[in-house]
Amino acid sequence: MVEIQSKYLDEKLDQVRAMDFLQYRSGDLPTWCPGCGYFGIMDAFYKACRQMELKHENICTVSGIGCSGRTPIFINSYGFHTLHGRSIPVASGLKLARPDLTVFAVAGDGDALGIGGGHLPHVARKNIDITFILFDNSIYGLTKGQSSSTTPYEMKTNSHPVGNPDSPLNPIRLALSYGASFVARGYAGDPEGMKEVIMEGTKHPGFSFIQILTPCVTFDKSNRTWKNLKENVHPLRMSPEADNMETAMRAAENQPFGVGVFFKDKDRRSYQDILDGLNA
Amino acid sequence: MKDINIVIEICGSAGEGTISAGEILSRFMSSQGYEIMSFDSYPAEIRGFGKCVAHTRISSSVINSPGKLADVLIALNDGHSISQLSALKKGGILIYDSQPAKPHEEDKSVLGWADPSVVSYGVPLAMLAQKAAGNLRGRNMVALGAIAALFDLDREGFTDSIKARYAKKKQIVIDSNVNSFLEGFDWTKDHIEKKDTFTFDGVSLEPRGEKLIINGNQLVAQAALDADLKFYAGYPITPATKIMEILSKELPGYGGTLLQTEDEISAIGAVVGAGYGGIRAMTATSGPGFALMTEFTGLSVMAEVPAVIVDSQRGGPSTGIPTKTEQSDFNAALYSGTGDCPRVVLAPTDTASCYDATVLGLYLAEKYQTLVVILLDFFLSNSIRNIDTPKKPGPQMLNANVNPTEEDLKDYKRYKFTDDGISPRAIPGTPGGISFYTGLEHDERGRPDYSDKGHLAMSEKRYRKHASVLKEAPAPVISDFDGDRADIGVISWGSSAGAAHEAVATAKKEGINAASFSSVMLYPFPDEALIEFAGRCDNILIPELNFQGQFADYAQGVIKREVTRLNFITGRPMAAEDILDKMREM
Repeated sequence: MVEIQSKYLDEKLDQVRAMDFLQYRSGDLPTWCPGCGYFGIMDAFYKACRQMELKHENICTVSGIGCSGRTPIFINSYGFHTLHGRSIPVASGLKLARPDLTVFAVAGDGDALGIGGGHLPHVARKNIDITFILFDNSIYGLTKGQSSSTTPYEMKTNSHPVGNPDSPLNPIRLALSYGASFVARGYAGDPEGMKEVIMEGTKHPGFSFIQILTPCVTFDKSNRTWKNLKENVHPLRMSPEADNMETAMRAAENQPFGVGVFFKDKDRRSYQDILDGLNA
Repeated sequence: MKDINIVIEICGSAGEGTISAGEILSRFMSSQGYEIMSFDSYPAEIRGFGKCVAHTRISSSVINSPGKLADVLIALNDGHSISQLSALKKGGILIYDSQPAKPHEEDKSVLGWADPSVVSYGVPLAMLAQKAAGNLRGRNMVALGAIAALFDLDREGFTDSIKARYAKKKQIVIDSNVNSFLEGFDWTKDHIEKKDTFTFDGVSLEPRGEKLIINGNQLVAQAALDADLKFYAGYPITPATKIMEILSKELPGYGGTLLQTEDEISAIGAVVGAGYGGIRAMTATSGPGFALMTEFTGLSVMAEVPAVIVDSQRGGPSTGIPTKTEQSDFNAALYSGTGDCPRVVLAPTDTASCYDATVLGLYLAEKYQTLVVILLDFFLSNSIRNIDTPKKPGPQMLNANVNPTEEDLKDYKRYKFTDDGISPRAIPGTPGGISFYTGLEHDERGRPDYSDKGHLAMSEKRYRKHASVLKEAPAPVISDFDGDRADIGVISWGSSAGAAHEAVATAKKEGINAASFSSVMLYPFPDEALIEFAGRCDNILIPELNFQGQFADYAQGVIKREVTRLNFITGRPMAAEDILDKMREM
């Protein structure tokens, strides 16, 4: 393999360092494909950290396996790249052990809803105070284009060349019915909007579920493309209070491209709070 | 002084108070100064009419195994006791219900099936219980009364043990039990003439109250609390559940957190997360749960995050036999998962060492930033011993993390190469220690590195920890040799070790030239000591409770010669008699 050590990269890095919010970026260059939606998610993440003035050493990002798994290595903070589907259990243990840290868990659609799908209901019902960001590109990217739990019905993929026989999951509806106390959606092409929901989710004292709609530019040429997303994404058409479960459920059903906060339960106590109360 | 050694079994149906009666017997005999070792077997089902046996060995000297056959069988239930007669010695004692509430057909009576050599005493258990408390529930206490009267045990002292057992119950419950006991005691004194030769007379032991009467699960939990455990995550599974239940009560008072998770994958995941956060964390499980935890065993070793798993082994594979004891997770504990994955495995050899192994396990995990598996088994988890209160760990066992120096933090490398394999660990939140942990192969900074040199260097680093661990591991227990050599060397591990050491001591008295070796440290194993020991023995015998001889396979690989194996998987623990019989054959 040719070592990528060109002048262009050095110049680019210098530019990056000069920009204030990119102090949250590590010195390692992302390994994602050019044009990947994940770059946008990272930008929003860095900006959110900057605006909240989080201390680098007090941020912990826990990831699973897949393209999203590499996320922590690109953040100038503590990070733990764990096992496929297991970012939630590790992040839960970490947060309960170290309530002083700001803990993020990141996962892709295969990671969070496929192999790790069994953990989501429990972290939601327990309401452990971690911010969970779902990098949802509706395909397995790192293994090169197989169907995931959010791949549309009948879409042709490398594991289903004549069409996906499985119906996709609706991540927002799942999170709502599992009892997540903060449920939001962002779009990889809108870093400002994502930054807002990431900040709100981080400040929310409990489990925050944030789905990001993002394209896989390499293995999905027909469905969740930049073009399709740009045409369809719109701000959620519902009350910004977002305190009504019924409205949120209806929006989850009827607004598959709506971005913003679906639901937040401000009064719900976090798991740590509940434990402290029970053991007082 | 005379050596007294009596095994009493109480056999009944689930719900008849069999296990409680055994507990009270143990408590009382311990208070009288005896060594006790008791072990219950019961069905996996909560309700129904499954067979329960409370097995108690009572001795005037130190004992290390539960004894194979019973001297006394108390039959609370005739049907179940008929099948238990095979575990009663020739010439033993049978106590049965002479006036059962529902009369038996002739072929269903335990008396009819007993060996002619057995001395039997009929006591109207049901009738006396009815008389004492107005219902049949106190039959177990009547039986204890009969035993106490037959062996001339202290009537008042026994009453105190019953009161202590039910101290938290309503007065009426205490009274019913005590009255049933007294009814049984007095009736037996008045009506039964002792015809057997078993006796507790002839020894003078100091009565005492201060010994702990405790099982392995309780000791693991206590040790964890004393060793600064701050996080426990778990999922219920027999026979490890009790550890979680004790900690759920106690851990918050010690400033810790208990998390009951949705499965064992999540349990070990949370333990790894908490360990990564810099506090002491553990989980406890049994075979099926350990199987699920396998993927995290690799991550703990690869990412170098402390984690402790207690695996209380039961009959396997798969769901197996949940309430029977076995030592068949040796291979799983050492080799679970993929790749070259050096972890630490400890196996306590008796009840008391469950405490020490847990303290050591939490210490080693933290210091060496790796996975420690502690292998108990159903027998160690549940068998009850009277032991001295364990000594609490000192500060050197409690703060074991190798923190980075200021110099280290100037250019921090999470996976820095060192001679002992330990890289200074910056806990998240440490300024200057920002680092990336991963299950991918990596370089010193944690960046993915798939180069052949890098993989080799990191593998060597991880295995260097083994050499370092061995330096501070407890030394193997080796019996004295009579002269330079032994005809038979018995090598044992885990709960079979007590029986092995006892068998060797008895064999020596019989004139067999034997020696004994056991090690709590299973991985890394003290190979050099093993080679030296084996070199002095003409024959090697390895007893263990599994089908394959999993440890024997390991030992053969080390000492490079065939060993004699003693394997059985009947679900009962290893007894000294089993090993002795084999030694006599050799």
